[in-house]
Amino acid sequence: MVANRGEIALRIIRAIQELGHTSVAIYETPDSAALHIRVADEAVWIGNGPRKDYLSIETIIKAAKSHGVDAIHPGYGFLAENPDFPKACEEAGIIFIGPPYEVIRDLGDKVMARKIMADAGIPMVPGTDNLPVGEEGVKVALEFSAKYKYPIMLKATAGGGGRGIRLIENDGQLREQLPLARSEAKAAFNNDNVYIEKVVIKPKHVEVQIMADKFGTTVHLGTRDCSIQRRNQKLVEIAPSMIEDTDLLDRICETAVQAAKAANYFNAGTVEFLVDRDYNFYFMEINTRIQVEHTVTEMITGIDLVRTQIKLALGMKLSFTQDDVKLRGHAIEMRINAEDPQNNFMPEGGKTVSVYRSPGGYGVRLDGFVYQGFTIPEVYDSLLVKLTVFGFSWNETVDRLRRCLRNYNITGPKTTIPFYLNIVDDPDFQKGDFDTSYLDTHPHLFEYKVDSSEVSKLAKLIAEIHYKKENPYAI
Amino acid sequence: MNRIVQGMSITEVLKDMRAADGYYVTNTARDLSQSDFKNRILLHTDLLAAKAREKANYFSLEITGGASVHVDILRKQVDPFLKLKLLREKMPNTMFQTLCRGVNLFGYRPYPPNVIRLTVREFAKYVDVWRVFDFLNHIPNMQAVFEEVQKAGKILEPSICFSTGPEHTDDYYVKKVGEILDVTGDEILLCIKNHGGLGTPKRIGDLVKAIKDRYPDIVIHYHGHNTDGNDIGRITAAVVNGAKIVDAADHAFTGYFGPPPILSVLQTLKDYGHHAVGVDEEAVIETSEVLRNERRHYEYFESQFKGFLPTVQIHKLPGGAMGSSFEQAVKGGFLDKMPEILHDELPKVQRELGNYWSVTPGSQILWTTAVSNVHDGRYENCSGDLKNLLLGQYGPFPFYRPDDWIYEKAFGPDWQKILEKEGGVEEIEDIDIDRERTVLQERLGHEPTAQQLVTYLQHPNDAVNFFKFEEEFGQTYVLPPSIFLKHGGFALGETIEFTDHNGKDHSIEIGPQQKDADGETSIYLNVDYHQRVYTMAAEVTDAGAVKVEVLSKEEIEELASIGDVRAPFSSNVCQIDVEANQEVAVGDQLVVLEAMKMQTPVLAQVAGTVQKISAKIGDALKPGDKLLKIATKDDKAAD
Repeated sequence: MVANRGEIALRIIRAIQELGHTSVAIYETPDSAALHIRVADEAVWIGNGPRKDYLSIETIIKAAKSHGVDAIHPGYGFLAENPDFPKACEEAGIIFIGPPYEVIRDLGDKVMARKIMADAGIPMVPGTDNLPVGEEGVKVALEFSAKYKYPIMLKATAGGGGRGIRLIENDGQLREQLPLARSEAKAAFNNDNVYIEKVVIKPKHVEVQIMADKFGTTVHLGTRDCSIQRRNQKLVEIAPSMIEDTDLLDRICETAVQAAKAANYFNAGTVEFLVDRDYNFYFMEINTRIQVEHTVTEMITGIDLVRTQIKLALGMKLSFTQDDVKLRGHAIEMRINAEDPQNNFMPEGGKTVSVYRSPGGYGVRLDGFVYQGFTIPEVYDSLLVKLTVFGFSWNETVDRLRRCLRNYNITGPKTTIPFYLNIVDDPDFQKGDFDTSYLDTHPHLFEYKVDSSEVSKLAKLIAEIHYKKENPYAI
Repeated sequence: MNRIVQGMSITEVLKDMRAADGYYVTNTARDLSQSDFKNRILLHTDLLAAKAREKANYFSLEITGGASVHVDILRKQVDPFLKLKLLREKMPNTMFQTLCRGVNLFGYRPYPPNVIRLTVREFAKYVDVWRVFDFLNHIPNMQAVFEEVQKAGKILEPSICFSTGPEHTDDYYVKKVGEILDVTGDEILLCIKNHGGLGTPKRIGDLVKAIKDRYPDIVIHYHGHNTDGNDIGRITAAVVNGAKIVDAADHAFTGYFGPPPILSVLQTLKDYGHHAVGVDEEAVIETSEVLRNERRHYEYFESQFKGFLPTVQIHKLPGGAMGSSFEQAVKGGFLDKMPEILHDELPKVQRELGNYWSVTPGSQILWTTAVSNVHDGRYENCSGDLKNLLLGQYGPFPFYRPDDWIYEKAFGPDWQKILEKEGGVEEIEDIDIDRERTVLQERLGHEPTAQQLVTYLQHPNDAVNFFKFEEEFGQTYVLPPSIFLKHGGFALGETIEFTDHNGKDHSIEIGPQQKDADGETSIYLNVDYHQRVYTMAAEVTDAGAVKVEVLSKEEIEELASIGDVRAPFSSNVCQIDVEANQEVAVGDQLVVLEAMKMQTPVLAQVAGTVQKISAKIGDALKPGDKLLKIATKDDKAAD
């Protein structure tokens, strides 16, 4: 069973089908017209939602039982990193395709995670434990910031995916924001613990894909760079990292394996690091799920991560060794979202995709779930399709990416495509030179003309030429 | 040997060219388009050819200027600046060349000095080589352009217009070259502008030699047309005698009135021991292979008459005017009179009007005068531009003034007084450019760009129409000629594919059409697989109200004499001088009409009060269309 929706549900269903198993989809009412329930072998309606049924462990386990499900893949988001879910699966006698309950719990708790990593000697950005409640907490925080200087990050211990983080630049802000952060964390994650980290200025976000079986083998599948982010949400991901120092990248990868081993990691995971301008790297966190950007790693390694996840969960050994993992070429993924980048990435949900034409050809991979005539549900995320391109050289990959973006033809919702076209034409991007400050330091990327009407203008002239039997403006 | 590349200064160019063992080639794509395709070769086609043309290593590509700036906005619906910008992206090394009519810029009559300077400054951002001429070889008419080109650091190429006849001696032309050098200094290229393709190879060879004898260091650029089929001969003679640059064009598109094929020039001169510096012959061939398939889409704009015209030596019409002359003869229904016009009347008019150079705007004056002389009687119907010429407003006659009787025909018995009062070069004053900008802003509804303003200052009404076209239809240069110049409509189910200005691919499938009861037609198109309907308004027939009748010339005159002023010929309204309720006297100028690039004033035949003005500036009128009505005093008395 795939306990998810959208493109990742399709991605997992495909892997299940390729392995010769029967796939079961679940869906809430707003997803009644979604593609994943058409492609799956069986589909179970789990409620009206929105979102609450996809988030309901009880409902999903019930549906799984009634359909005789042997294993559940949680995808990303929703229940993917909720430790109660694998626990409930175990209790119901269903295999959870992902790390065990304890691993998710420990690594999901940022402070616990830091502790494990610190004990294993993994380099880390200086930070605190959970701050004590009340004035005592403020005191610890002020001491920390006096030692390491502003700016600092105030983070919710249970946060993730860019949520529950705030930047603090002085004492006043710290006093003001701390109680707010707490109450917000309580509301969002039902856990009011917060802690502080030193801010690494203009870092690169480099992460390592790892894969571990139950027999003690842990391998890494190279690096990804996810520095191009908007408000800590990734937009563009590449593999491998463009850092030229391959020794450094090897060290990062080895550290990631070490970190995974320290956490008794099993199945697929991602170890995230920050790399500062002096090429120091710091452990950030381990994501205990398959990630959106896993496609870029698949493109450069040739290894099907979801297929591997399932096989490992079924108790098989890793079918490849670290030496078998060879990185080849470059891959870039762009998340084509139904959003208006010029209007603060306002989602365009509710709109109907009246025209949908996508690129193809060599080195092009599409993981999407929209089709012509599909109305984007307003209640879920705005990801339409992930465009992943592969190329032997970086230049070739960028050229292919540009061609693909231009070949797209989507009418109805506004999309991030014109914004991405500006990125591929940006000299810094073309050089592979970007860090997490990229969008802030390249405001011109948001300057583009929305020229969706250009074709209809031209079509109007063609209609006139057709009707009048000659071009009245050219004779 | 090093080729000349875009960005080199005139000093560097001259140094290389003087030292070069060989000659250079200019690809005159614009002149070819103008002479053999009524200037309709689209940017789409030039962009297709750009890569191979760049590879061919020409000295320059003549791609703008002449009438092309006007036709760009009037017919090809492309921004003349955008055209240069897009070509430059594909052709970083090749110099771009223009043809500038001096004080007349890219138009047909003199512009104010500040407009000239602004225009040159703006175009000089894209144009490297400036060929400048005046149809009277009157140097002061070119001076403002000379100065601005030199100020912009671009390559100045002043021209001596060439013709034949007893006055057109080597001495005359050598002296003219001296006068030019006095004004420009010696850092120029000199063009011998043989726009008609006149004279024999020997004549051109002698002229080049005479100039080189007097000015050994001068770099001569020979420009000719192949109307008589013998320009290769003249080019050969020019190079053998010391010309350093010659004009020719891509053979896939060569016709009868434009430049000859580049490849033939290369092959011929090679056998004479002269080679073209840097030119990649393979790329010359490749260009034509790329272009060959496009030519069929332009068939409609090729001359109705195929074949070389050695009779050009008699009528001397420039290559650029041949195609349009035949077109006018066909449309005007006087094709049968062409032999008389071309071989009898036109040479006569040329001699009578001073044997000046038949090139824009002088060639249009000669042509329309000859046509009018044959139709209406000799000098019975003098155009406004002919009158200006007679008054010397374009400049002094180079050899002799026309006979008195012509003045009398044009201006009546008081012609001497008029000549005395209005004769001489008209000093044109600067205009208030800020005010023009404001006017344009009002007409556009937004602030114009600097380039839009310059385009507007050339041809105000056509520019505004073009800007509105752009707003309505987008960047249509992306459409290939097979679509943009399609005749006869598309087939049902035909799919049109193109990439738009932003680089996006599109597909448009032609669907059915349906006419409703009101006469409106719905055109169904599948635009990017999405059905859209375009509604076409019913054709205006209003047979009841104004009967569409063809009035004879006599009827139009008769109506004018009772105050019902009609358009006497097919024309555009370019100026309205009166307002409603204004008193007018006999002879007052009412409106100015423009046809065949000539302006003709319409004068009041009766005195009275202007009543209804039916025409608007920019209207395209047929003969007999209403201009305005004058209520005569008699009408009032009758009331």
